[in-house]
Amino acid sequence: MMSAGDPAERSGDAEVRVVLDRVCKSFAPAGGGDRVSALQDASLTVGSGKFLALLGPSGCGKTTLLRLVDGLIQPDSGTVHVFGAPPRPGPDIGFVFQSFRLIPWAKVSRNVDFSLRDLGLTAAEREERTRRVIKMVGLTRFANAYPAALSGGMKQRVALARALAPEPKVLLMDEPFASIDAQTRELMQIELMRIWTRRRPAVLFVTHSVDEAIMLADEIALMGPSPGKVIETVPVDLERPRWTYDTHAEPRYVELRKHLSSRMRQFVLSDPASEFFGRDLGSPDAMGT
Amino acid sequence: MALLKREIAMLRDVLQSCSSAAVRTAIALRNLCKPPDSFMIAFYRIGFFALLMALWQVAATRMGSNVLPSPLATWQAAQTLVGEGQLIVAIGDSLTVYLSGFAIAIIVGVPLGVVMGGFRVLGKTLEVYVFALAATPRVAFIPLIIVLLGLGVEAKTFIVFLGALMPILINAYAGVLAADEELLEMARSVGTPRGRIFTNIVLPGAVPFIIVGLRIGATIGLINTVVAELYTAVRGLGGLLAIYGNTFRMAEYFVVVLTLAAVGVIVTESLRYIEARVSRWRDV
Ligand SMILES: Nc1ncnc2c1ncn2[C@@H]1O[C@H](COP(=O)(O)OP(=O)(O)O)[C@@H](O)[C@H]1O
Ligand SMILES: [Mg+2]
Repeated sequence: MMSAGDPAERSGDAEVRVVLDRVCKSFAPAGGGDRVSALQDASLTVGSGKFLALLGPSGCGKTTLLRLVDGLIQPDSGTVHVFGAPPRPGPDIGFVFQSFRLIPWAKVSRNVDFSLRDLGLTAAEREERTRRVIKMVGLTRFANAYPAALSGGMKQRVALARALAPEPKVLLMDEPFASIDAQTRELMQIELMRIWTRRRPAVLFVTHSVDEAIMLADEIALMGPSPGKVIETVPVDLERPRWTYDTHAEPRYVELRKHLSSRMRQFVLSDPASEFFGRDLGSPDAMGT
Repeated sequence: MALLKREIAMLRDVLQSCSSAAVRTAIALRNLCKPPDSFMIAFYRIGFFALLMALWQVAATRMGSNVLPSPLATWQAAQTLVGEGQLIVAIGDSLTVYLSGFAIAIIVGVPLGVVMGGFRVLGKTLEVYVFALAATPRVAFIPLIIVLLGLGVEAKTFIVFLGALMPILINAYAGVLAADEELLEMARSVGTPRGRIFTNIVLPGAVPFIIVGLRIGATIGLINTVVAELYTAVRGLGGLLAIYGNTFRMAEYFVVVLTLAAVGVIVTESLRYIEARVSRWRDV
């Protein structure tokens, strides 16, 4: 078990991969004007090999939090530690972006290989690794295709393969399945679980879907908007693998789902930035009568 | 009247051989597994060509051959000009000036635009001057160029270079600046060093812009070739244009105009072909 105390201190613990402690981040809007606060006093811990879902309505700073953890941007205040030190972007931290971000003029294999260029591997090792990862996501037949020829689900597999190829110990995923159709999404979720069980990276998985969070995560960090922060952290004590039984019928699932959904609805209704601000849609009764 | 009839008959023959050639080409294209569209496009293009020829014939008949030569008269003039050799010599002269000016503009413009895009301070510093120069009519520099370089090939080449340079440079610059922010962040995220981000993400992303620049540069370069040949030592296709235009030999004049159009089409179509080759990844 982790010792209590300063989270930054705890990050020295080999079991803890990611620690955010009272992180604040604001942006200067492109058009000028006051700075927009994206995160305020956000704190979070992800243990080694743990799967943490970051659940929150859109605009509450989820993407910003992932970019901070990858070291792509720096916090205004507070500390972000990955492996006990401020993170630097690189092969130790994998990032699966919401919009795939494949290089359009490079074939699938070259897209995957792109994350292996700076690991000091020989060309043969890189080729072998690329082949293996592409096989793992089931795209061997498409290794020589250009991204334009792939469906959304396949593009996201390539992005996943690229993130996994350097065998990162921390994997950041930003709503990776949000733009994929429901059937493909469920298969992708199962596939992700299979890969995660085998490789066991610490995962920070952003989603705004309550069901997705419950099906995947060990723990759910609920984020609220304006400004973004982590409101509460809920453990998901449902047995794995969760696709082998009727998870949705479990009392714990129903309870979690009800709690998280109502919190999510509350956030949206009480967020002045939301289009639903002040509407009386908060209680289930409001719909029936 | 008899002459007119003969011309119409000639025209019909020309059109018929054109259209049968068009059908053959279109079938050949279709056999190359092109989408069926290109079959129809080729057909429409030939059809439009026939329409143009017919309009030309009608206009020529109406206006008289002193103003507008008929297609047949133009065709005969072309045969004479080719036979006597002056057209070939003129094409050679013009192409030398045109292609070397264009080539130097590429060699200078692309790297300069890319470097300006890569080093933002340099780009911001120089861009005002580049835009100012691009907005100045290049004809304004011709007297200065003549004073500096004389009336020969060097001056002509420089005029072509100056015209083609700006669109090539500005498009290369814009292409680098338009690099996809999301891809750049992805590359940074996997730990790609800056230099490789530039060569693997920024430059390939700028290629479509650069090719647009080359196409505009090619067109302006051709215009400037003619301008240069009119303003400096009268030679090449521009020179023939001046000679036949001033002496009202309209059939010969038309041959030169059509030759220039053909050169323009060949160069821009070649660039389009190159563009299709380098952007094959767009095809599904
Ligand atoms: N680069 C940026 N520049 C300006 N504002 C930004 C930037 N990134 C995020 N924001 C703002 O910060 C807030 C949180 O954004 P984001 O982290 O993308 O939220 P989420 O991923 O939860 O939808 C939003 O209000 C957004 O407009
Ligand atoms: Mg987001």
